[in-house]
Amino acid sequence: MKNFVIVLGFELREYLKNKIFVATTLLIALLGAAFLCLPSLVDMSKYLPVPPKEGVVPEEEEEKPEKIEVEYYICDQQSLIPENLIQEIFGEGTYKYVSQEEAREGVLSEEITAGFVIHSFDEMDYYVLNKGMLDVESQMMQEALVVAGQMDYCQKHNLDYAELNDIYNKKINVNEQILGKDTESNFWYCYAFEILVFMMIVLYGQMIAVSVTNEKSNRSIEVLVTSTTPTSLLFGKVIAGAIASVAQVAVILVAILGSYGLNRKSWGGSLDMVLDIPAEVLLTFAFFGVGGFLFYAFLYGALGALVSKTEDVSKAISGLMTVIMVVYFLSLTQLSNVDGIIVKILSYLPFSSYSAMFARIAMGSVSLVEVLISGVILIASIIGAGWLGASIYRMGTLRYGNPVKLSNLFKEMRNENR
Amino acid sequence: MELEVKNVKKSFGGKEVLHGISFQVKSGTALGLLGRNGAGKTTTMRIIMDVFKGDSGEILLDGKPFEPAKERIGYMPEERGLYPKRIILEQMVYLARLRGLGKSEAVENAKNWLKRLEIEEYANRKLETLSKGNQQKVQLAATLVSNPNIVILDEPFSGLDPVNSQILKDVVRDLIQDGKLVIFSSHQMSYVEEFCENVAMIHHGQVVLQGELKQIKKEMGRNQITLVCEGSTIEETKQFIRQRFATMVQVMGNTREGIILKLQENCNKESFLSALLQAQVKISQFGDYEPSLNEIFVMKAGDNQ
Repeated sequence: MKNFVIVLGFELREYLKNKIFVATTLLIALLGAAFLCLPSLVDMSKYLPVPPKEGVVPEEEEEKPEKIEVEYYICDQQSLIPENLIQEIFGEGTYKYVSQEEAREGVLSEEITAGFVIHSFDEMDYYVLNKGMLDVESQMMQEALVVAGQMDYCQKHNLDYAELNDIYNKKINVNEQILGKDTESNFWYCYAFEILVFMMIVLYGQMIAVSVTNEKSNRSIEVLVTSTTPTSLLFGKVIAGAIASVAQVAVILVAILGSYGLNRKSWGGSLDMVLDIPAEVLLTFAFFGVGGFLFYAFLYGALGALVSKTEDVSKAISGLMTVIMVVYFLSLTQLSNVDGIIVKILSYLPFSSYSAMFARIAMGSVSLVEVLISGVILIASIIGAGWLGASIYRMGTLRYGNPVKLSNLFKEMRNENR
Repeated sequence: MELEVKNVKKSFGGKEVLHGISFQVKSGTALGLLGRNGAGKTTTMRIIMDVFKGDSGEILLDGKPFEPAKERIGYMPEERGLYPKRIILEQMVYLARLRGLGKSEAVENAKNWLKRLEIEEYANRKLETLSKGNQQKVQLAATLVSNPNIVILDEPFSGLDPVNSQILKDVVRDLIQDGKLVIFSSHQMSYVEEFCENVAMIHHGQVVLQGELKQIKKEMGRNQITLVCEGSTIEETKQFIRQRFATMVQVMGNTREGIILKLQENCNKESFLSALLQAQVKISQFGDYEPSLNEIFVMKAGDNQ
């Protein structure tokens, strides 16, 4: 135990003395906090759902009316769509009635954004130079045409369009009272946490594996294993990595969540879906996130011991990386169905409970017993991974040269235990 | 304190590399572990240090199973083994503390050893910034930082210049004087001869020679004499002896100045000397031959062995 603490301190100092590690942590925390302070320092009411700040004159009143430019050419020779409808959709002055040829030419010469030729209530031509991903103009004109068609029908059949419209599009006042969990609002921070844990495991896991390989490569391992137990060495190394990663994430999260908490009013609560995280979700994240990280970190450490050169580390950890990637994609794709059977199974497996059980707690229905079972499995698996990792570490660290095959190592471990 | 290695065997991948290694070493003495590259010296040391487990055999300390983790041991592996990118003092303190020292004692010892090895100005530098020779001195300091009772050094002199070798020799001598139990391997026989009372020579995984160096030399030189004749070259002397005294001696080789002769079974030193005098040979040197360790090494571990 004493040597574990010594190894832990030595390894932890390596992280804390790493200028890049410290600078990155502080920089991200400061930038995040500073960004979230912006609405309190600068008037962003134009972009956020908040009233303008006191004493600040809304920009519209100060500025002269903008010069409106024609963006659309419309050819509606039969006057099928009432002009007030067009005005309502596109805005006054943004369109001009032209001939069919002019509508096409206007688009080709890039004078306008889009051109429309209305043939009937059922047919129109839409001209656009390059159709973008978020092209909405055609959709807007189609809606106008549908409304115009409905109005025309009502007129011909002596019906009151306004009355019918009210009945068909009756507005319902919903007083929503969520008594359980709001999946919609929890989704985004859940999504963010899934990515965060994934990044922690991949980045720090690799660092731990490289650190073990480095000791093998510079041969310090031979002195170390004759000075203390491999369990102290691997546990010290992995726990140091865990403390460093959790500290880094904690500093960044505290800075960001704290800054948002202080400036929440200025943001009009518009980032609540990502940054207003309930305490129990944070606690769950801490337990399952750190647990999952430790589980994988021990395996990374053991795999790092199988190779002698740092350039071989990626090859050694590729299998584990595949498992992590599969879990990651399964978890993300199943986020919208957290009570489904796949997430339920994943939430008990130590490889995936860090992600699946966390998602179930944040967004689904899960009983305390299920959480406890998953937690116990995770803790037992961490201890198992630690023990297995230390054994592989001890056997693998002194095999220099070509990467050691896991199967051969297990065979030797079995022989040694006989 | 007596460390005894008894009939240790070890195989790698089905091939036995140690075929029953045995030797003993006591506190206050140094054992030189000799052998060619690949003979099994490093494997033997690693088994003593419990880096590897032997397939069979025993390592005993004062008759009880030896547990390296429970003893204060300084081990310097052949490949060395420190962190190139870490501060020297920091890693020395780390190793000392892993071997049971308190923090302040570890810091004090580390500083003392760096000073003793004349590298104290590098205490707060990264290891990789030092020359190879100084890195080896740091390695030695890190080996001795925990005040070990047992010191195991694998090829400690390799790569050291004469000045640094002298410093290391002084350190090893002091360790022996302080009553430490020292085992070290080397290819440089002169160092082994200088301070090893005992040697164990390993060849192809077997101890081919073991014991007190003086005794070994005496044994190896038994019935052999050196002869230097005045006014004759070595070749002339060899030819003369072969022609005139073939029934009494056999020419074995030569030293830098004279020739080495082995007395035949029916002959002794005195009768051969009187025969030489009767033949009016001008003798400038006549005496017992004692082979150097280097010669013994070539004899026992040479290509024709």
